[in-house]
Order: sequence, then C-alpha cells, then structure tokens
Amino acid sequence: MKRLLGVALGILTAIGGFVDIGDLVTNAVVGSRFGLSLIWVVVVGVVGICVFANMSGRVAAASGRATFEVIRERLGPRAGLANLSASFLINLMTVTAEIGGIALALQLASSVNYLLWIPLAAVAVWLVIWRVKFSIMENVTGLLGLTLIVFAVALFLLKPDWGNLASQAIPAVPAEETGATYWYFAIALFGAAMTPYEVFFFSSGAVEEGWKIKDLIQSRINVLVGFPLGGLLSVAIAGCAAVVLLPAGISVTSLSQVILPVAEGAGKLGLAVVLLGIVAATFGAALETTLSSGYTLAQFFGWSWGKFRAPAQAARFHLAMIICLLVGLGVLATGVDPVLVTEYSVVFSAVALPLTYLPILIVANDPQYMGQHVNGRGVNVVAMVYLVVILVASLAAIPLMIVTGAGA
Amino acid sequence: MKTPRPLGSVPLAPVPPVAGQTLDAQLHLLDRQVLDSGGVPVTTVDDLELGAPEGEPETPMGTVIPPGTPAPVLTALLTGPVLGTRIFGGRPPSSRLIRIPWTDVASVGVVVQLGVSGQGLDADWVERWVRDKIIARIPGGRRDPR
Amino acid sequence: MILGDLLGTPVHDDDGVRLGRVADARFVVDGAPHRLMADARLLGLVVSPHSWSSFMGYERNSLTQPWPLPQLLRWRHRGSFFVMWEDIAVLGDRSVRLRRGYTAYSPALDGSGQE
Repeated sequence: MKRLLGVALGILTAIGGFVDIGDLVTNAVVGSRFGLSLIWVVVVGVVGICVFANMSGRVAAASGRATFEVIRERLGPRAGLANLSASFLINLMTVTAEIGGIALALQLASSVNYLLWIPLAAVAVWLVIWRVKFSIMENVTGLLGLTLIVFAVALFLLKPDWGNLASQAIPAVPAEETGATYWYFAIALFGAAMTPYEVFFFSSGAVEEGWKIKDLIQSRINVLVGFPLGGLLSVAIAGCAAVVLLPAGISVTSLSQVILPVAEGAGKLGLAVVLLGIVAATFGAALETTLSSGYTLAQFFGWSWGKFRAPAQAARFHLAMIICLLVGLGVLATGVDPVLVTEYSVVFSAVALPLTYLPILIVANDPQYMGQHVNGRGVNVVAMVYLVVILVASLAAIPLMIVTGAGA
Repeated sequence: MKTPRPLGSVPLAPVPPVAGQTLDAQLHLLDRQVLDSGGVPVTTVDDLELGAPEGEPETPMGTVIPPGTPAPVLTALLTGPVLGTRIFGGRPPSSRLIRIPWTDVASVGVVVQLGVSGQGLDADWVERWVRDKIIARIPGGRRDPR
Repeated sequence: MILGDLLGTPVHDDDGVRLGRVADARFVVDGAPHRLMADARLLGLVVSPHSWSSFMGYERNSLTQPWPLPQLLRWRHRGSFFVMWEDIAVLGDRSVRLRRGYTAYSPALDGSGQE
C-alpha cells in the first residue's frame, strides 16, 4: 500500500512539475496563433524528454554520477566549459523568467504591481532552498501544480467543436503565418518541452534522494506516465488558447491572456484555481532552475553539493545559488518583460540541447559507469534519432530567430 | 612530410601484460570527481603532475633520456588555476599549483577516492573560506536538512 | 612535468618523421608501495596520427553502441599506436622523439584495468 502511494505520489508530482512558465507561455502563444497545428511538436518533445530523463536517471542510479559530472568527464574541460557557459546562462534566464512568472501571477491575484512581488518571490525561493527538505519541496510544489488541470476542465466547459479542434491538429501552416514563423515556434515548443535543466535537475535529484537500481522501476513509471500526462496539460493550454483567443484574433503577449480562456470557461473559481496553479508551477520551476544552476556549476568544478547536506557542507553551491537569485532580481528590476525573457529562454534552450544530451547517451552505453545497465539497442536507436532532430533544431534556431524577428 | 602508412592495416601486437591496474590519463583520471575519505566532493582532477620516482634523479627533459632510466610516476593530482590554463593555454607558476599528493589517493574508479579528509587539503581552501566567512554565518547555515 | 603540457605534443621518429601527437599517457599502478596505492608508473604514450583530442577512447575499447558514434570516432583515431616508455628518446616541450627501432603496440586496453 505504501509502495502504491509512493508510485501515485511520484506520478502526480511528475505531472504537476512538468509545466513551467516556458510551457505556459509558449503553448498559449502557439495556440493563439497556430491553433493546434503545432501540437505534434509537444508529442515529439514529451517522448524525447521521457527517453533522456529516464537515461540520466539510470546513469545517476547506476554510477552515482549526476549529468554535469558526466559532461565534464566525457567532453573534457574545453567543450565542458562551453557547455557550462551556455547551460548556465540559459538556466539563469529561466530562473529570471520563473520568478517573474510567480510575480505576474501574484499581480493578477492581488492587483499589486508585480515588481513589488519579485523580491518576495526570490526570498521565498531562497528560503525553501535553504531550509526545506528535498522530497517535501518536490511533493508540495508538484501536487499544487496539479491544479493546472483546470486548463483541461476549462477546455471542456468551453464546449468547443471537438471535430473542428481535432481537424486543426494536422501539421499545416495557417494562412496568416509564414513557414519560417511556424518552424520558429516549433523549435520554441520543442525547447520548452525538452529544456536541459530538467535532466540536470532530474539526475541530481536522483543523487539527492540516493536512488539505487531497484528504485529505477518507480522512477520509470513516474516519467513514462507523469510526463505524458504533463504534456497533455500543455496541449490543454494550447487548446484553450486555440478555442478562445485564435478566433478573437488575440495573440498572447502577457500572462493575463494565457488565463483568459480559463476565466471564460470556468469562471471566477477557475480563475482562482489557475492562479494558484501558475504560482505553484512557476515556484516549483524556480526552485528547480535555481538548484540546477548550483548543480551544474558544482558538478563541473567538483564542489560539494546537494540539499541533503547542511548548507555549510556545500558552501560554494549555496553561495552560487544566492548569486544567481540576486542576478535574476537585478535583471527583473530593470523592468524587462518576464514573458519576453521566457520566449527567448525556450529558444536558447533548444540551441544548447545537443551538448547536454550527447554525453548522457555516450555514458549510458559505457559499462565502466553502467555495469550491466547499459542502454538497450532500441533505446539507442530512438536516442540517436532524437539527437539528429535536436541537432537540426539547434542549428536552425538562431537563423530562424533572425529571419522571423523572434517570431513577430 | 608524409605520414607513414596507416598502421591499422597490419594488426599491432598487444602491449606486454603488466601486473597492476592500468590507467589512461584522459580516460580514467583527468576531469574525474575527487571524493575525500568521507565521500564529500573535494574537486576534480584538473591536471596531473609527473616526477621521477622517490630516490631517483630528475627525469631529463629536452635531452636524450639514458636507456634504463626509470619511468616517471604520478606525483600529484593538480587543481586550481591549472584548469584555466588547460582550457585557455599557458601554464601557471609551479607555486600556484594546488597539489593533492598521489600518496593520498586510495582508489581510482568512476571517481577518484582519497584516503584522507578534505578538511586538511589545500585543494579545499576556497570551500572552507566561503563556508566560514559567508554561509555558516547565515542563520540555519549549519542545520542538517534531513 | 605537467601532463597537460605533454598531451598534444608532436611525436617524431629518430629520422625526424612526424608520426602524430600524444593523445594520452598510460600509467600502471605497480611502482613502489605506499600506505594507500602503489606508485603509478608511466607505461608509455598513445600516439594518434590524425586527432589528439582523445575524447572517448573508442580506439582503445570494443564498444559499438551508440551506433554510429564509436565507429566514427574510431575512424578518427585510425592508425593510433602505443609506445613504451623505454622507446622514448627525448621528452621535449615542442616534440617527443622516439628511439630508433621503436615498437608500435596496439593502443587497446586489455580490459584488466578499469572494467
């Protein structure tokens, strides 16, 4: 019974923890401009993150090594540093975006300007990282994030023409958009679903919680059930936008537009629930990205790290995270639009993907690390196909960003 | 000048067998995580220092090595500024190298395990400084989260 | 001597013909015993004619997955060989020179080391 509860809890937190500000904004933007014609990208992205999150978890359980230790060891100091710089900067952008997201959601809930919420949000994030036990942190934010299911509920309450909606789900460039913007947003959605911080966090979390090989079955269930269901939430967000905003000619540029369909479909109660969900999801993701910044730095340089240690036993790790939060605060204090930061961060994520996923794949095949738990042939074929897709997306991202003026 | 014919076409003889564990520097040592005797991360292996075995004269550099000269041995794992020079080129002065003597190494596997505590090592001074001057002074800094 | 300085150094034979660069250094833990581990003695150098960025070491093991990476990287390192310390004549800053009549061994690891 206890085991079953553990599995259920794991799945629920995986669903609730799947969506972050990147998924919220990108899916709503895409839904409001392209309808469901890009939904296939979410499917591709979810399958990809399942494959690689699983692999990084297996590497961590079999060898006790988290992803960035593996990256440094396999790529060497030069390519490793290039990867660190890219991953760290994107992480920092994402931390900034998530904290901005918390503040924006609180502004919508309270009518108090979001700039006043930002310091509060950052301090709250730091306090949780400083004091709260890893598993409690994961479970509470994950369960609260589940309230985002209200997007799916709202979609039903909106009583859309399901046949019409389904016919939108065929990949096609809408008449008012160009092929370049279509592919630009395809890459953004892909980057949002496969953000590298998720594997950094996932593998480091496996070390934090001391996973062994026998725990892998549970982690596999969490990933293989939780992430696709989380992906369904993403689809519901896009679906809401496609039903309400697309016909109205509103293309999403702010968080208030993201939740507009929920207010229309599920009323005031729905609005309250969705705001709680967004605060929980962005707060959870702010924790994960801040920790990931610390994880990547500490693992590259070989510092002591982990929330399972007292902060004094992982001093540089904690100092690095404090600095990251301060930098994020500084960026937000300039008044830059957090939604815009989000839109850029998901595209840059796509650029950095190959450097993260290649070393994981290589080490997952190395018996020195994995013993008998090396990748099976099927996993390797799928992973190699994904690496090619990731590489193409990564190379195309910046040119498309320039050509389309960042999707404008 | 022309490279000699690729040797791959003729299978090369295997290296004569040796008794101890073989370690290829790039594959098994460089960039690996170093843990102290308590399993706490100390640093990574940023570079390695070689020297003549104890009691032997310095290995000649730049001149012909007399046949029969004993092979150099690993004297220390290096860390600190040497990482920067390994990435960007150049070489830090010998006095700035932070050494972990080979005699402190207990085993080499997926990680390099030391047989001593990290507390006394030069390689750990930045960590101790950040801890004592900053982190331990923030309330709750020494509280075990478990 | 710092190993980082040695890696990437061009390798020449006794006639001055360039053979490649130092791709790696192999040590064997069979030297003078100490409290914890014995001395790790330099057994020799891996020389690679095309690329000295050792990277994955696929030329020294028999891994084949994930296809096609090992095959590609192994091809990058085709012609790699191993020379024993006894066959090294000069260790210089700019060049490593081998003794006349040196023996080129296979760089393969026999599996008794790490695995």
